[in-house]
Amino acid sequence: MKQFLRYLNVKELVRPIGQMLAFSLGSAAVMSAIILVLALVLDKTAVGTALVNKLNVSLFSYTLSNLPQVVIDGLTIGFVYAAIALGYTMVYGVLQFINFAHSEIFAVGAFVGVEVLIFLQTLGVLSGASVFMAYAYLSLAILLAMLAAGGLAVTVEKIAYRPLRNAPRLVPLTAAIGVSFLLQDLIRLVEGLTTGQFNRIIPTFGNFDDRITGKMTLGATKLFIGISVKSIIVIVAAVLMLVALNYLVNATKVGKAIRAVSQDMRTASLMGINVNRIISITFLVGGLLGGAAGLLYALKFTRIDPFIGFFPGIKAFTAAVLGGIGNMTGALLGGIILGLLETFAGSYLGVFTMGAAGSEYKDIFAFSILILVLIFRPQGLMGKNVGQKA
Amino acid sequence: MAATSFKEVFDKLNQGVVGYVVILLHVVAGSYLVYSQPRSNLAFLVFISSLLSLYFFRADNRFKILVGMLLALVIIPVIGVRNIFYLEVIFQISVFAALSLGLNIVVGFTGLLNLGYVAFYAVGAYLWAFFGSQQFYVLNYAPGTQPPDLPFLLPGDAFYLFLLVAVIIAAITGILLGLPVMRLKGDYLAIVTLGFGEVIRVLANNLDKPINLTNGPQGITPIQRPTMPEWVVDLFNSLFSGVIGHDVKLADMYNVMFYFFALLVIIAIIFVTKRLDDSKIGRAWTAVREDEIAAVAQGIPIVRMKLLAFAVGASFAGLMGVLLAASRTFISPESFNFMQSIGVLSMVILGGIGSIPGVILGAAVLTILNLQVLQGFSLYLNDLRQSDAVIPVINFAWKDLSTQLDPAKYQKLLFGLILIIMMIFRPEGLIPAKRRKRDVSVDETK
Amino acid sequence: MALLEMANITKTFGGLKAISDVTFSLEKGRIVSIIGPNGAGKTTFFNTLTGIYRPDTGTIKFNGKSLVGLRTDQIAACGIARTFQNIRLFADMTVIENIMVGMHVHLKQSPLQTLLRLPGFNREEKEAEVKALRLMQYVGLNNVENELAKNLPYGAQRRLEIARALAADPQLLLLDEPAAGMNPQETEDIIKLFRDIRDNMGITILLIEHDMRVVMNISEDICVMDYGEKIAQGSPAEIRNNTKVIEAYLGRGAVAGQHEEKLQ
Repeated sequence: MKQFLRYLNVKELVRPIGQMLAFSLGSAAVMSAIILVLALVLDKTAVGTALVNKLNVSLFSYTLSNLPQVVIDGLTIGFVYAAIALGYTMVYGVLQFINFAHSEIFAVGAFVGVEVLIFLQTLGVLSGASVFMAYAYLSLAILLAMLAAGGLAVTVEKIAYRPLRNAPRLVPLTAAIGVSFLLQDLIRLVEGLTTGQFNRIIPTFGNFDDRITGKMTLGATKLFIGISVKSIIVIVAAVLMLVALNYLVNATKVGKAIRAVSQDMRTASLMGINVNRIISITFLVGGLLGGAAGLLYALKFTRIDPFIGFFPGIKAFTAAVLGGIGNMTGALLGGIILGLLETFAGSYLGVFTMGAAGSEYKDIFAFSILILVLIFRPQGLMGKNVGQKA
Repeated sequence: MAATSFKEVFDKLNQGVVGYVVILLHVVAGSYLVYSQPRSNLAFLVFISSLLSLYFFRADNRFKILVGMLLALVIIPVIGVRNIFYLEVIFQISVFAALSLGLNIVVGFTGLLNLGYVAFYAVGAYLWAFFGSQQFYVLNYAPGTQPPDLPFLLPGDAFYLFLLVAVIIAAITGILLGLPVMRLKGDYLAIVTLGFGEVIRVLANNLDKPINLTNGPQGITPIQRPTMPEWVVDLFNSLFSGVIGHDVKLADMYNVMFYFFALLVIIAIIFVTKRLDDSKIGRAWTAVREDEIAAVAQGIPIVRMKLLAFAVGASFAGLMGVLLAASRTFISPESFNFMQSIGVLSMVILGGIGSIPGVILGAAVLTILNLQVLQGFSLYLNDLRQSDAVIPVINFAWKDLSTQLDPAKYQKLLFGLILIIMMIFRPEGLIPAKRRKRDVSVDETK
Repeated sequence: MALLEMANITKTFGGLKAISDVTFSLEKGRIVSIIGPNGAGKTTFFNTLTGIYRPDTGTIKFNGKSLVGLRTDQIAACGIARTFQNIRLFADMTVIENIMVGMHVHLKQSPLQTLLRLPGFNREEKEAEVKALRLMQYVGLNNVENELAKNLPYGAQRRLEIARALAADPQLLLLDEPAAGMNPQETEDIIKLFRDIRDNMGITILLIEHDMRVVMNISEDICVMDYGEKIAQGSPAEIRNNTKVIEAYLGRGAVAGQHEEKLQ
């Protein structure tokens, strides 16, 4: 044990957890403060009056009482985005290439995981499972989802991207769009042929739907805090993966090779690094994370279809760009911020605009952020400004 | 090696009168086949591929134009009216050819990967859908709650005016959307344009409140068409009803008319593209595509040139949008999803980026695959399901085949495969673009 | 008045001073070289002059007109043409089209003229074609007008890049390592070409070059940069004997006399 601990780089285990805590609490605090100030300001206007007339509650206490739930939901989805965003950002770091098909890697993970659980359900082991066994089954499903997605990512790279590595930038991007479309319909085809339908619902088992609730009084307002077990699972699983990934990249030999390849592929190969193998590993790691994120997403939202990857994919890409593409810490920060922003917008936009625009605009919210970031800070929040070379 | 030898053999064959003979034979045989077997997909393929002969075989240009006009203006409409399905196929080919040619200006000449091209198509379509329907009087009703018998805002013939308005509005939209993002690198631009495409679709879906501009997911209908003078129908009937075998109805005549409109737009796009391509503007576009840093060092204002390409491409899509709204009399947000954008992009890439004949071929091939081959395959599978046939070796009864296996619904698979295969094996497309050879000598000026 | 006057130019990237307080002026009709070890800031100097980078401080005047803050294409339109260290041609365009792109700022054709093919358009295009062909032959390329630029051999690509730059009728021609990768014969030919461009076309030439045969042979004036600073300027003979320059190239403590073979 001591021997093992000596080789373990404890700093690289603690540091990412610290970052996640700081990013989560910081972003949540900043956004909560902004929304509360906004609520206070709008309380005395027509917006506030409209709400009083409708729900008989002031805008400020409405905002405050919903806030804990919004923050928790935002963080949950934010961690899922972060896990997907890491797949984009790692591949971009190594190949300067937007892996458009990453969203379908995610979807495949979701489908494989859900199908495993459905299969277990038909065996009859799920319904009466003890809490411990329920978690074991879920872990098994996540593991298989990860393996399938990781394997697929590596295969796609070998078949569709590797031949195009030296082509102009838009060529592999176009191929990746093709892979994305192909995979969507392949999932649909396989699901359609084997199960006769392609909307799948994750089986209910274990204590995942339970909610842990708490109550808290703040002045005149009563705050109800509820967090479902599955949200906790999503967050814990994502945190574990992110810590593992950080350890892999920053404290192992393979990680050093990945970083070397992303700095300069040719020099790295001159230093004896097998670039093809490192690129495969990068896709594998991105795929593993994406696959797990897929099943976590399915657990949270219960229902999946073959096109499920599109919006989470675009949003995770936005998160990667927001944080500074190619930068792993940036992807984490970007995911958390985007998840929170989106949930805040989805929850409050309707009330704050008196119903003119609501959560239906949630999905294009990410695009607006993407465009704003690209215009005003194309290197992202944590990226470095790199000068153009003539 | 095989490819070059094939080309050599083809060139050896393709001399003298051979071209004339092949073209005429192909057109006549194709027309006869479609005429005698109006339900055969194969006959239609033979017929429509005569356009390929017309392109590839050598003949005098005047002869080619004559045959081309005969095909486009007489034979295709007549055959189309005999079998309305063919007219639909041909109309869709021409619509997609026009859209692909428009996108080709942006992707092919200027090298900007636009993944949200249908946004401009939607702008044109919704423009005429709003002004050419009763929607103006529905503004204050939630979808589905409006009273019947509302008047139309504008007469149907305002369609012609809106062709022009749509060109302008779509071009302005293109510039406004392009302005903030033109400095972005190519792949970022691609994702942002994708975003714009989705934004427009989501807006169309949700702008039924606070005021009902788009009627939401239900879409807008009925949309007016321009009036068709009776004498046109009569004239057409007096000329062709003998060949067709029955009198043509007004509705079918409209389809012929919209086919002609689409044809006009195609001709206009080819005209504009060719002339711009062979000028200061076209050279600047290509220079920007090839190397932005070198282009700007030649004094080319790249942002302005890119915006111009964006605007020109957008304006054609806007024009086609008006045409679509009028011809279908119904539009909804789902006609403008991401898959449409990728479909048009696939056509451009399959045919050959930057190549006008290539892009038209790409549009034709994919539309035919979509409408005829995939659907034909679906029908065939359905027939098999109805029958008692069994696959011999594995002893699988066709009727047990899942109804999910419906090839017509797997367009994405098709588009995806085409994009991947073309990028890996033939990124320049079926008919690669060629640079014009100039015949110039120094002493010409003396 | 000098053709080009740059005063107190500084450009930093992050904490790194790529160019530090450089003052430089260039008289009309001269051939001047900028030399210096790798990383001395020479290419950054070109990129600052052509507007790819905006200097942090300092002024740049060309014919008395300030260039700071102008876009790269606007600066090019003022009469400054350039070539690139690693050849940047429009690979999939023909040779003659490459040269015609160089004329972009001088062509007056309007979109309307272009679409309607009015007589003015046809005349201008014809003239441009002939001029492009003349330039192509002038730089020593023959019968390749319809070849794609990417299919030319290396030396021809360098020449084509020069023809494209000349097509803009520049007053100042910036050449970034024009002799890189050339054999002695090609180098000699291209030196002749540069002299001819200056003598017969009256174009001022500013070049960055590592090849000392070229620099010493052609330059009337040499500006030496090291670590972003201008450390010397003078005639080839002066530069050859300048101790600062010798130190920059050979390191501190280099004995006078050892540098001779290196520089010659």
